[in-house]
Amino acid sequence: MKKINILFTILGIVLLSSCEGFLDVKPTNSADASTSITTAADAKVIISGLMSKMVSSNYYGRNFFLYGDAKGGDFAIRSQGRGMDALYVFNHSASSNSFSGYWSQMYHCILQINNLLENIDKIEAAGKGSAALSDYKGQALTARALIYFDLVRLYGKPYNMDNASLGVPLILETLDASAQPTRATVAQVYEQIVTDLTAAAPLMGKTKVLGFLNYYANQAILARVYLNMGNNAAALTAAQAVITSGKYTLYSNANWVSSWSAENGSESIFELGVYLSEADLGTASLGFYLLRSGIQKGAMGWFMASDEFLARLNQDPSDVRWGIMDYDETYTDTGVKRYGSCRKYSGANLTGDKGSMSAVNIKVIRLSEMYLIAAEAAFPTNKQLAADYLKEIRKRSPNLAAPTATNITMQMIKDEKSKELFAEGQRYFDRIRWNESITFNDDFISPAVIITHRDKTIDRTFYKTILPIPKTEIDANPALASQQNPGYAQ
Amino acid sequence: MKKTILFVVVLLLCNVAMAQMKVTGKVTSSEDGSPIPFANIQIKGVRNIGATTDLDGKFTFESISKDAILVVTYIGFTTQEVPVQGRSEVNIALVSDALNLEEVMVVAYGTVKKGTFTGAASLVKADAIKDVPSLSFENALNGKVAGMQITTTSGQAGSTSSIRIRGIGSMNASNEPLYVIDGVPVVSGDSGQMGDYIYTSNNVMSSLNPNDIESITVLKDAAASALYGSRAANGVIVVTTKKGKEGKPVISFKASVGVSPTWATSNFDAASTEQQVEMYYENFWNAGVYYQNMTQEAASISALKQLSKRFNKHGYTFSASDNTVKTLTIGGDRAGKYYNWDDQLFRTAVYQTYDMSVSGASERSNYYSSLSYTKEQGRVKINDFDRISGRVNLNQKISNSIEFATNINIAKSEKSGYNDTRSTGANYFLQSRNLLWGLYWPTDYLTGDPWTARYGSYAYNPVYYNNEWENWSKMLKISANETLTVKLLPELVLKSVFSYDNTNTMDHIYYSALHFNGSSTSGSVTEMTTNETKLVSSTTLNYNKVFAEKHTLGVLIGWEAEDNRTYFHRSSGTNLPTSALHTVSTAGKLDAAGYNWGSTMMSALSRIEYNYVNKYYFSASFRRDGSSRLGETTRWGNFWSVAGSWKIDSEKFMDNIDYISNLRLRASYGVNGTLPSSLNGWRSLTSYNNNYMQTPGGGVSTIADANLSWETSYTSNIALEFGLFDQRLTGSIEYFNRDSKDLLQDVPISLVTGFGTTLKNIGEINNKGIEIELNGDIIRNKTLTWSAGLTASTVKSTVEKLYGGQDIIWYDPTGGDARAKYIYREGESTLALYGLEWAGVEDETGKNLWYLNNDETPDLTVKGRAATYDYSKASETIIGNIHPKLFGGIHTDVKWNNFTAGLNFTYKIGGYTYDGAGKDVTDDGYYWERIMSKDQYENRWTPENKTASLPMRAAIDMEDVNQKSSRHMHKADFLRLKTINVGYNLPKNLTSKINVSNVRVYFNGSNLWTMAAYDVYDPEVNEYGTRGWETPICKTYTFGVEFTF
Repeated sequence: MKKINILFTILGIVLLSSCEGFLDVKPTNSADASTSITTAADAKVIISGLMSKMVSSNYYGRNFFLYGDAKGGDFAIRSQGRGMDALYVFNHSASSNSFSGYWSQMYHCILQINNLLENIDKIEAAGKGSAALSDYKGQALTARALIYFDLVRLYGKPYNMDNASLGVPLILETLDASAQPTRATVAQVYEQIVTDLTAAAPLMGKTKVLGFLNYYANQAILARVYLNMGNNAAALTAAQAVITSGKYTLYSNANWVSSWSAENGSESIFELGVYLSEADLGTASLGFYLLRSGIQKGAMGWFMASDEFLARLNQDPSDVRWGIMDYDETYTDTGVKRYGSCRKYSGANLTGDKGSMSAVNIKVIRLSEMYLIAAEAAFPTNKQLAADYLKEIRKRSPNLAAPTATNITMQMIKDEKSKELFAEGQRYFDRIRWNESITFNDDFISPAVIITHRDKTIDRTFYKTILPIPKTEIDANPALASQQNPGYAQ
Repeated sequence: MKKTILFVVVLLLCNVAMAQMKVTGKVTSSEDGSPIPFANIQIKGVRNIGATTDLDGKFTFESISKDAILVVTYIGFTTQEVPVQGRSEVNIALVSDALNLEEVMVVAYGTVKKGTFTGAASLVKADAIKDVPSLSFENALNGKVAGMQITTTSGQAGSTSSIRIRGIGSMNASNEPLYVIDGVPVVSGDSGQMGDYIYTSNNVMSSLNPNDIESITVLKDAAASALYGSRAANGVIVVTTKKGKEGKPVISFKASVGVSPTWATSNFDAASTEQQVEMYYENFWNAGVYYQNMTQEAASISALKQLSKRFNKHGYTFSASDNTVKTLTIGGDRAGKYYNWDDQLFRTAVYQTYDMSVSGASERSNYYSSLSYTKEQGRVKINDFDRISGRVNLNQKISNSIEFATNINIAKSEKSGYNDTRSTGANYFLQSRNLLWGLYWPTDYLTGDPWTARYGSYAYNPVYYNNEWENWSKMLKISANETLTVKLLPELVLKSVFSYDNTNTMDHIYYSALHFNGSSTSGSVTEMTTNETKLVSSTTLNYNKVFAEKHTLGVLIGWEAEDNRTYFHRSSGTNLPTSALHTVSTAGKLDAAGYNWGSTMMSALSRIEYNYVNKYYFSASFRRDGSSRLGETTRWGNFWSVAGSWKIDSEKFMDNIDYISNLRLRASYGVNGTLPSSLNGWRSLTSYNNNYMQTPGGGVSTIADANLSWETSYTSNIALEFGLFDQRLTGSIEYFNRDSKDLLQDVPISLVTGFGTTLKNIGEINNKGIEIELNGDIIRNKTLTWSAGLTASTVKSTVEKLYGGQDIIWYDPTGGDARAKYIYREGESTLALYGLEWAGVEDETGKNLWYLNNDETPDLTVKGRAATYDYSKASETIIGNIHPKLFGGIHTDVKWNNFTAGLNFTYKIGGYTYDGAGKDVTDDGYYWERIMSKDQYENRWTPENKTASLPMRAAIDMEDVNQKSSRHMHKADFLRLKTINVGYNLPKNLTSKINVSNVRVYFNGSNLWTMAAYDVYDPEVNEYGTRGWETPICKTYTFGVEFTF
């Protein structure tokens, strides 16, 4: 009995003394966020995670490109109610169809970046920095710049329209759950974008790595940003840095179409990876959104080219870019093949870039765009240079006259950009930057409906040119209530 | 202890008697006439003379006074005083003390006499549950405990029940009670991970054989449950398993067979095939004539075309010579013959159970062992469950002061062939009521081959596909409790319990390449193993002493540690080489996952109990818990209770009131808690589920409040217990008030932080109610007892506070079909149905009407209120409350000689249920390819039936039926004969010839009769008050026989 008493006494002591250790139970499929980044290898995992989050359906995986395409006049819908047509008809309010997924997913990505940057700073402060770590820091800063660039174009007025107006909250560090940040101006956001890109550039490697950002991707983004800021000289310099690097080459006319059936094309400056059972959206992928209705189980025929775009591409019926177009569902009604269905995200032969029709990489920035930016940036001051750059892209329409210093027009550059970057999420942003009015191919909707959310033609003075701050955000962050975009109910 | 007290009492009344004689006799049980061995017999007022009955219940006094009074005592029976009156043979039948205040009840960390307990607790004994054909004991408790609601979502064999004690106290964490078996908290609920794949549950409690249960105590208020601290806010269910009784070994064998030929009620019964065809035709005819300005002829052609398109291929043709439904005729090769899918899908289910137990005890040791086999079939042909379980309970006294006890339970069960979801072709109940036309056949009409394509209604041919898929879950559960009791001093007892509990569940789900779920991947198979271990160590010191014969003091202190860990592994394969091999190893493409999770807890606990002259009782408890589910700064919490009771009938002024045999007032107040469901809710995590370019990818996945804490409940309870007419009428009336605060809520935060919500302790809910329990003996004599009882409870469950006062909309999580919509709003019920308010059907047009509930311009007024034809113009509002006004049970039992009979009713008055299937089977024409219910056929609007309760059907894409609205809300009131029992003990002279001490034959009927305010579906709904496409419960007729040797 004495022995038993001693046993229990010991047991009691052991139990009580090991208390805190006993109560500290860590998860095994997740790590404590505060200690999960301590080495360069950890940082790489976070960068991979960040890229994966950027290719979510709410961002580059689908919706961000759809935003830039559906609203730009080059696309039309055949029927209302199939899905995502709110983008096309501008059916947006703070509480319904606010597409808050952009807002939440992009800020979620920014959180990952800020958290990574803070941890890299800690590692470096502890004297454990390395070249690899600097590279990850550069990638993080570049990604942050790209995300803010996308955010400010979704929620803020174009830079060249009113850069003193409100942009988006500028968050550069991890926030507490109770934080209620307010919006910075468009100019402030652009300033930060340039700061981040400039800080990142010297840290980044110049080798091309599929799926990740490198120095040239940084420069390419910088070229886009400066073009939006109206700083043509800087945009030209940045674009030229990429063009002259020798790392990337333009697709020849012969292999332009097949470039959409392979990953890591010679033009790819920044390409986000979509692999089977990773970020593959299946029948909800961007590729499926552009397929002809019924061509595949699950293909609903959501979006197709507008008449205006088809007429533009038809300036040269031998344009190589017809090769990626397929006829659309109007065939069943008219018996005439109208090539309005785009296969850039399902592959010319519907086998994608690695055998799957939906697990297809997203080519975020490619070299053709750099030529077009260079052409546009050079145009006001150096017509010859502009023509030289445009010529390289325009030759994909073999029957059209090559541009020269004398015949080149801004319209030629704009048309070329529409043809080349069709379905690549650029058109709408370009057109509101150019302050063009956009006319939609609404007659194409069959049976016809009355579109109440916008006029047939809009321009950038229309309040729905930019999105509302989502109601869920304003409910949780009342500080933003007075900062809702004008026109949207407070 | 009880015996000792009586002994002392007898001794104190010492007296000397004269006129001596020899007296012999036998003590038996009044219940079944069986002898009672080891009963204690004293002579009233005489010291030093006493006897104990032998194994046959016999006793002898060599020389006692002919006027002596025998005092016979035995545990579990009412003490009897029998005057000898000069008889030489005195036979005594003891009456079991079911209503005795001295009854011992197992409570938190100990036992207590029912009449002295200061907390609120209800006791259910084995007798009440023993004959119910149930895999698990919870269902048998229905209606027996005031304040407790038991719901079973599914009639699948082996599925989980849900228990709510005194309402709903949490929005985010669990509302289920804590289960304690033989003094040790155990895991409860669903076991395994199959729920991730198909809609099912696997009840871990079914590993406990109900036949092994001695008693169940339900702890309801803080005084009763606070000693379980941070897990006790939802009440505690304390289960105690059987022990041996002193005497000869008792061998008992019990076998029963139950059959379930039908459902308990009608459940969305389908209209006949002819009626279906009629409605289908009418649907398109109405669309043409009323909405598309067609002539009757054109509309008829259009409707017939639709019918032909769907059913010509199955061998039917259609015509309507006068272009109306009146002349609609079904022709074709299969005319007049319709396939009976019900016969194909359902069966008379058979339930069998065999129990064997051996038990006994001597002065030093006590044992109970059992072996049981149960096989249950679901009415759905492919659903089976079987279980084999064994138990050994051993008690051994090592010395006068040391005792070891071991309880070991092993159970193995297998469940197969189940699915209740609305969204797949595998739910046969849904298919039979909504998708499978009598016009569909399992074989092709032309070729005779199996029909493999999807039918027009999106159903798949179950006759064919039954062979192309399978699923099962196998559970093996081992639990072992070791208890050491050391009597350090006569007043001081140390008790240490160590418990090991391991549940291993293997889940398997397979689809062949031919199955519609496997065709895109060329067949798939998934195997999962979930292994859950729970270790509990608890040590208590218990001090009990009576001071100066007036003050009784009990002090308990103790500590407890608990470690839970679950290991999970999944491997999946697709692209299977052959349909003969259903294993992952053979698959062409593999995928796997594996990790583990767990939680720990440490506690210190204490209790003090005091009473003064058994009249004034006081108790207090205190527990300190530390849990790994919370962060370092907040993980320790204090939980406590105080309680008192006053035995009024012991007061002097009550002496003259004879008819009151017991009157007691008790009250308690205390604080207990609920831990978050999330294991890591307080910790910001980086998760690694963002693989990218075939390399690992991770990111911060939660933003956590490091100060997250448990939810806290403040419960007060006041009760009056009474017994009248020598305890022939007993009962209690109880009032409780539970304020649950710091409730966890997913609080919306600025998305700019990177996340949309964070878990915070914010909300408040109040539950209050009255509980009544009444029991009475209407007739009580030697040959006949007739007793009756009732429980009645009310609960008002109200949301008091929400984050920022903002409403929260939420949906019924069962079934994965968001079938009902609720709102948490301050000041409203915790189960407030939210949706559009349906204003019925317009008589003239058969159109749906909706109350506007906003300032839009009304189309018309209905009952003086603004209404509209267009649901999209109306606003949602709170349309009803699920919580009933009153619920409980009624039971009555008769014992007459060797016969026993009992009826158990359950009832619910007030409140609503929500019909999640109505939108499918009483549709307005939207799902025109599906079959409809009899209810729809009979109550739909037609020009002949303009006062219909359901609108006109027209195939024009009206979405009205899909709105969450009061149209699908129905009155919940019902009365159900839950069980009926009849038993008969064969006469002793018969059984003794075959060396059997007792033979009992019995019949149990479950769910045989139901009366419901709304009778389209079973009124016993799930804990959210909804009925969807889950397999309903059955009527079960069970016949059993029990032998005791």
